[in-house]
Order: sequence, then C-alpha cells, then structure tokens
Amino acid sequence: MPSEYDAIVIGGGHNGLVTAAYLARAGKKTLLLERRHILGGSSVTEEIYPGFKFTVFSYVVSLFRPEIIRDLDLTRHGLMILPLESTLTPLPNGDYLYRGADHYETYRNVARFSQRDADIYEDYSRMMYFMAKAVKYVLGIVPPDPTSLNPAELNALLGMARHFLGLERDQFYTLVRLMTMSSADFLSRWFESEPLLGTLSASGIIGTFMGPRSPGTAYVLLHHYMGEIDGVFRAWGFSKGGTGGIADALASSGRALGVEIRTQAPVAQVIVKDGKAVGVALESGEELHARVVVSSLDPNQTFLKLIDPGILPDELTASLRRFVYRGSSGKVNLALDAAPDLACLPGPGAHLRGAISISPSIDYIERAYDDAKYGNLPQHPYIDAIIPSMIDPGMAPPGKHVMSCFVQYAPYQLREGNWDEKREAFGDIVVDTLAEYIPNLKDIILHRQVLTPLDIERTTGLSEGNIFQGELSLSQLFFLRPAPGVAKYTTPVGNYYQCGSAVHPGGGITGAPGKLAAQVILKDW
Amino acid sequence: MTKPPANNHYDVIVIGAGHNGLVAAASLAKAGKRVLVVEQRQTIGGAASTEPVFPGYQVDTGARDAGLFLPEIAAELNLEARGLRWLESPVLVYAPQPDGRSLTLWRDTRRSVAEIAAFSQTDAERYPKFLQEVSHFTRVLKRMMTVTPPSLPDLHAGELLPWLPAALNLKRLGDQEMMEFMRVLAMPVADFLDEWFESDALKGAIAAGSVMGGFQGPRASGTTFTLLYHALQAEEGFRSSRFVQGGMGSLVLALAEAAQQSGAEICTGQAVAQIILDGGRAAGVRLAGGEQITARVVVSNAEPRRTFFDLVGAPNLEVAFVREVKNIRLHSSLARLSFGLKRLPDFRAAGQAAFQNASREQLCGHILICPEMDYLERAYDEAKYGGIPTQPVLDIVLPTLTDPGRAPAGEHLMSIDFYYAPYSLKDASWDERRGELIDIVLRSLEAYAPGIGDAILHSQVLTPLDLEHDYGLTRGDIYHGQMGLDQLLFMRPVAGYGRYRTPLEGLYLCGTGTHPGGGVTGASGYNAAREILRDIR
Repeated sequence: MPSEYDAIVIGGGHNGLVTAAYLARAGKKTLLLERRHILGGSSVTEEIYPGFKFTVFSYVVSLFRPEIIRDLDLTRHGLMILPLESTLTPLPNGDYLYRGADHYETYRNVARFSQRDADIYEDYSRMMYFMAKAVKYVLGIVPPDPTSLNPAELNALLGMARHFLGLERDQFYTLVRLMTMSSADFLSRWFESEPLLGTLSASGIIGTFMGPRSPGTAYVLLHHYMGEIDGVFRAWGFSKGGTGGIADALASSGRALGVEIRTQAPVAQVIVKDGKAVGVALESGEELHARVVVSSLDPNQTFLKLIDPGILPDELTASLRRFVYRGSSGKVNLALDAAPDLACLPGPGAHLRGAISISPSIDYIERAYDDAKYGNLPQHPYIDAIIPSMIDPGMAPPGKHVMSCFVQYAPYQLREGNWDEKREAFGDIVVDTLAEYIPNLKDIILHRQVLTPLDIERTTGLSEGNIFQGELSLSQLFFLRPAPGVAKYTTPVGNYYQCGSAVHPGGGITGAPGKLAAQVILKDW
Repeated sequence: MTKPPANNHYDVIVIGAGHNGLVAAASLAKAGKRVLVVEQRQTIGGAASTEPVFPGYQVDTGARDAGLFLPEIAAELNLEARGLRWLESPVLVYAPQPDGRSLTLWRDTRRSVAEIAAFSQTDAERYPKFLQEVSHFTRVLKRMMTVTPPSLPDLHAGELLPWLPAALNLKRLGDQEMMEFMRVLAMPVADFLDEWFESDALKGAIAAGSVMGGFQGPRASGTTFTLLYHALQAEEGFRSSRFVQGGMGSLVLALAEAAQQSGAEICTGQAVAQIILDGGRAAGVRLAGGEQITARVVVSNAEPRRTFFDLVGAPNLEVAFVREVKNIRLHSSLARLSFGLKRLPDFRAAGQAAFQNASREQLCGHILICPEMDYLERAYDEAKYGGIPTQPVLDIVLPTLTDPGRAPAGEHLMSIDFYYAPYSLKDASWDERRGELIDIVLRSLEAYAPGIGDAILHSQVLTPLDLEHDYGLTRGDIYHGQMGLDQLLFMRPVAGYGRYRTPLEGLYLCGTGTHPGGGVTGASGYNAAREILRDIR
C-alpha cells in the first residue's frame, strides 16, 4: 500500500514541530499528530481563567537555537522574544540582591554583600560566556559511538577530541570541572556571598532531582548558560504571548512549509511491519501510513508504549527501564487582581519585569532537597517566579496580572499520601513562602492553578513529570542519552526515529534535538 | 631512629615517612639514589601508623585496612621476606540490623549468597553477577593505578602510550560493558545499587564502604567510582580488605626496611621548616633546628597545600597556581575512636531472644552499622551543615580477634570509624564536643552489642582537628584532597600538575593527594619515584 505521507511526527511539542518543519522544508510530505487540543506540549499558553493567559509549564526561553529561528523564519511567523533582564533575590531579613541589565547597578548590589564578589562578577560572566561558546559545538553534533571502530565514528570522536583539546588550558580545566563538580563547589571557587551563591546555584538544579551540593549539578548550570538570544549568550527572555507563542510560530512556519497538523489525534501505536515502522494507529482506530515515523515523546512512550517492547533487544529494554526521570518540580500559576508588592522593594519598578528568585542561600536550597529526597514536601522550596503580564500586558486583563511560579523540589514519589491529596497543600506552601516576601500576595489572588509532577505527567505525558524527558545527569548525556545504541535519533526499528528532549542535547526549549533528528532522518532518506 | 641526618647532601630528600614517602624512598634507593627521609613525628607511617596508645596495645591511629596496597609493590620491595604478614579475614562485612537480624558478607561468594537469601532471594541470585561486573570494571581501573596521567589538554604521544593497555582493557570489555562502564562511573552509588538490589541491608553494607574518606552521601554522583576504587584489589568482592599482622605499622616497618637496606636514611623527629629554593629550583630543605640539607631533588609526601603554602611559601609561586592550590577541595569525613576492651563485646540485638550471637568468625572483618543507604545519607545530611550525626554510620574493626598480640591477654582492641565528622562544626569547636562522640557511639552500639559500655578500659578519640594537627591531614581530609571526579587524574592535585612534578623544578609530590589518590595503595609513591628517575637518571 502506498504511504499517504513521507513522514509522521508524533507529538506537537516544540521539538516535534521543529522536526516536522525541517522535514517539510526538505520537501517531505509531513503530518504532525498531537494528542491535546493545542500544540506546544510543555510550551503552551492557555487561558485557564477568562482573560488570564498562563504559561502553564515552561515559562522562559533562552536556549532556543538561533539558527532554527533563522532557518524556519520564525520572526515572520510571529515569534518575538522579550528580554527578561533582571533577577531579584529577596532575603528573609528584608534585604535583597538585585541583578539587572545596568552593569553598575548590579555591581553596587553585589558589592553590598561582598566587594570581592562584585569585583569578580564580570570575570565570572565572561568565563561562563566562553565556556558556553566552547560547548556550543556539542549542541550541533550527533553523538558519536565511542565503542565503534568504524572510520566515520572514529573521525567524529577525533574531531570532538580535537575541539576540546584545542581549548585553552584554563578553559579545558574549567570544562572538566563543569562536567564533574557540584554547582555549590564550582561557584564557591568564585563567590562567597550567600544570596549570590544561592541564586546562581539554583540554575544547577532546575529540573534535576539533586541538591546544589550534588556533583553533576555544575553541568546543569552550564546547560542553562548555553542559551543565546539573537546571538547574545546567557540572556533569558519571555516569548510574547507566553511560551505558547513559540509553538504558534513553529506551527505557522510548519504549515507554510506544508506540514499538515492534526490536534486531538492521540496515537495508540506505531505500526511495525518486518522490523520497520510503516505508520501509526490512532486511538480512534484510524490508521495512517508513512515512510518514516518520528516520536518526540519520552523513551517510556517511544519505546515501551508505542511499540511492542518485545521486538527490542532485551539489553535495550533493560537500559530504557533504568532511564531516570525522577520529576523534581511543580508549577503554581496565579491570576492576580493587582500587581504584587515586594516587601524589600515596595511599589512598581523594573524588578517586577524580571525573575524573582527565592534562593537566599545554597543551604536553603539544599535543605529543600533534603526534605524532598526522602519523599517529603519541602516547607521552604526554591521558587523562580515571573510576572508575564508585566513584560507582555496582553497576558492579563488591564490592571490585573498573572504570575508564574516554578517550584522545586516537588518529588514525584511521595513518601506518604499521593499528589491528588497533597496538591492544595503544595499550593499553600508555595503561596505562604512567596507571601513572606510579597505581603499583599494572598489578598490579590483571584485564581490559582497548582501543577504537581503528577499533573505535569498527566497533561503533557512527561514521565514522572520530568521537564527534561529524563534527568540531565552525567550518566544520561550525549552517547548515553537515552541509552547506548539509541543515542543517534534512530531506534532498532527501521524508519522509526526519536526527536525529543530525551535525546542529545537534552531538555529545555532548545529545538536542538528536533533539528538534529531531522538532519539524521534526511541523511538516511 | 631520632637522630639528625648523617650527611648534608643527598640525591633525594623525601619529606614525610608516610607509606607513600617510604615506597618512593625504597624505589629510589633501589635505583641507586642516595635518599634521605625526614619525618616530623617520632613514629614513621604518617596516617598508616601503629602506636602504643594504651599500655600493651598496638593501635592503628590512621588506616587500618591495607586491602588496597598494590601487590606489585609488595613483591618488588620483597615485603613478605621482611616479615610482612597479611591477615585475610574470611568475612568482609558483618552488618547487624536494628531488627536483630544480621547480614554477613563473606569472602566466599557462595556463603554470602546463602546469607543474602535470608533478606532477598532475588538479590541472592544477582549478587554473584554483581561481583562479576564489579570485577570487570576494576580490571580496567586497576591498570590506571600505576600509570602517570597525561598532561591534558596538551598531547604528547609519550605520555599517552602507557595508557594504551588500559584503553585496550576497556575495549576488551566489549561494546556493551564498555558503555556500561562509562555510564556507571559518574553515577550515585545509591542509584547503581538500586539497579541491582532490593534489600536495604545489602545496599547499606555495600554503600558504606564506597563513601569512605569522602564527604558525600550515597546519592552523590561519582560515588560509584569510589565503590569501584575501594574494590580494586578485591579478588571477588565489593571491597578490598586485608589486615596486617601487628597493625599497619608492620607494613610501614617493612617498607622502611626495604628503603634502608637499599641505603636510604630515615630520620624521625625531624620537622622540615622550609624547602630551600635556589633560583626557582628546589635545592634542599631547612630543618626546624636550622640545619640545611641540600639535594638534587625534593619529594614531598605531605599534603599539597602544606607543601606549597607552609614549606615552599605562596610568594614563591605564581598567583594562578596558588589559587588552584587554595581551591583543592579538602573535607574531613570521619572521626576515629579506639577502645581498649576488657572482653569481647557480644554482638546481638537486645530483646531478640531467638537471635544468635555473632560468632567470633563473623566479627573479624568489618562490622558495619549502616542498615540502609538512607541511614548513610541522613548521617551526611547532619554533617553537611556542621552537625555531628546522632545516628552515625560506624565501621568497626576488632583486630585482636585475628591478631591477639595487639592487646594484653584477654583484652580486645576496637577501632571505630565514625561517619561523618565535618571539619568545621557549626556551634562549637571539636575540642569542646570531642566527648560527645563516645556518648553517641556507645548509645548506637548499645542496640547491637549490649553492655559494651561496661567493657571499656581505655579510649582515644581522634577528631578531624586531631587528624589535621597530629597527622598533617589538612582539614582532616584523609585523602589529601577529595576523590571527586573533578580531582582525579590530570586534575589531581591541581589541574595540569598530575604528573608528580610541580611548577618548581626539582620539587615533586608523592602523597595521596596525587594520582591515583586515597587509601594505602603505595601507588603515588611508586609512580612518583618512576617519574623522578626519568628526570634525574
């Protein structure tokens, strides 16, 4: 039977959309299937309460690859990234650390806590900028197989070795440290003041069930520095219209390139014949055929649900079952009647257009981890809050606001009870914690959406609510992501590919796995 | 041996008669160099000393288990002919449980399997496969012990060549095992063991040994590497364990004899005040008494920070290097308690009438109070904020069971490693809180060995502060620098100086702060001697 499509992409998250657009751009007749009624996966904007648009899950962008924006002409399709220029760390004693776009203001702020930290702050930023540049190379390559002796693989390995060994000594050693140390230890080589250390170290734990003192978190820190906006490294931004704006732009670009998109079309199964994928069966029973099937879902679904795992080698199934998800974060979205007012900086101001980080010290975050690692809810969690309506007024009715709060740690596996019982208690903890710094908060909350790791799993399909489709730990990176032998976007099933965050280079709104997958698919064509 | 050096010029001066210093001295002397070893303390051995702490007792004040000592060094220096006697206990770990049961892991895998089956049938079936995998991996790692790390990122074919056998060993694992090796190295030991086993008792007993010397809980990445490291010399086991008759001091004496027989001179009670520099080159040492002794080469067995800051002096080094030395991560991990006991303690759970007392045989390896990995993690939780764990992990040895000569007749020596003991306490100093350690230990042990408190005749407590003060272990770090993945190979002790050489010509390092790192391996001294001979041949 002739195939109706050249390619079917399962999942309309940002990576699925990127892959589909690139395939269509190469002239392939592509169909994208999304289970939900909206596109975006974890990068969606939804009007949960009338007039209030929530960036329900993912809420900031930085890591999105600029070449994808260019290739897919996303700006013309409505993508607009607004800068998120500052981070405010309010402290329990009423003081605060503010770091913004104004270099001298940041210097003065950091110096209030430590003159030494202020003096070295620029050096640190420059060093991380160069490290991100040095590692950027890896974002663009398909992981080579270190066990293979085939000349192409050896060549790729040599190329990589040449790249890294070609770094300056200091950069090389710093890279080794970033790959192996804890974010606390790494940062302590530079800084001494608690609020700065706490806030910087938080980038090392996002989406990861480790504390800032756990080795391996310095890599996550670096991962979060790899972002660039318009070629400016480590800039964070907010997509106009919320992160759903990215999905919308990608979908619009995809459609213009010829991608056919169907929402509310959950896939039940990938149809495999003679070891090759030939199409998909929808839950409705409808069957669609294509020459190539691509899954942007996580390995749990890609390998263990969409196909019969029995056709996979036993070792692979075992590896995939060992893949660590371990969701660690939750989300609380608030609809507010008025602007939040911070105790440390009352009234309006630029700080409300940036991030508000509840991370007064490394120990604060570490203690939250201590609670969570035994399956308990931390009473004092790390929170990264932004007020999207301050950056993009269209997100809430005039005079009113939305607030997006990323919360860690929220262990997927609770020691006692279940998340359905604990959801509101979790929401209360977050609001109580924030209210310590934002005294008017409780009075202005109109609506509250609490998303536990279980809710994230149920809504987006991310196993255990892991926002990266699998932990970004050293043993799950590069040629080990998601498992040896399936790290090159392929699967043991012919014509069946992966393009989600569970493959190199991993999570975050980067689009990189989607683009690399498309490259591999087109090369194999 | 307390006497000043006989001469005022040598080929090589070794600072510190720790086991690595002595291995270096013996190897260099054997190669025909005129070697002087100067030791600050009256006893040789450094952190591998045996001392008469209580009347009639031979107490190991530092390391107790020489399981990691490289057999090739023992053979090369003919240590067995010099009276070294290994004592291999039939049991690796005896782990009493709070519920009155106990898990004994024997050197004989079949016996262990039978024990494990009482806790979990699945685990019992998997245990031999687990040991097999561990031994596959240690076979690769073992090769790295006696090879000098290349000075990456610079590439010299000559430096890489010695690594070829290790690379081949890795390749020989087969593709799948090779990937598995790379995957597990950076894993938390908690995850690694969770993949293998379900029994808390078994996982606790294995995990406890893997964090030894490290200020990290089992959930820290890289602790699987340390598990493998501690298993390096185990024929078929998860932990290398081998005691020395007479205590570690006997190993050290055999090393000293090997050095002296080749002509090396060892002076104890002689502190080095300074390393003498001549035009940016190490030219000798000045002793605390003021005496100057010159040498072609100075080798420091001391911890790197001490070597560079106290003996060389930061002003004599480049700022960038000083910063790196300052940034070496040093953490204490444990405190040591030694007890002289008037009788052998009864290991059995209180109130468990049906429970059988542990046999003498079961008690002659390591007795571990670590019923689960979370117990270990919680002890670390308290310590990482500067507290003393109220439920510590205890690694206990009763050397007199196999070596009765180490205590007066009928009495027993009990040596306890207390995990974790942070260097800096939050609220008070160690000198104020030292006594609490004994209370905490006795309270914990009472549940497993009732009545132990009444058996105590003598006690000694070594806090991290004591380890620093008396044994030169800066910040109480028994490894002269943590064995994290960031401080290994060419990053150890300082990035770019992994080849035993230092920025000062003529000055070398041979302590445990260099590759391959911690434990009584002898490897650092052995490798340093090889590099020195290459330079001054």
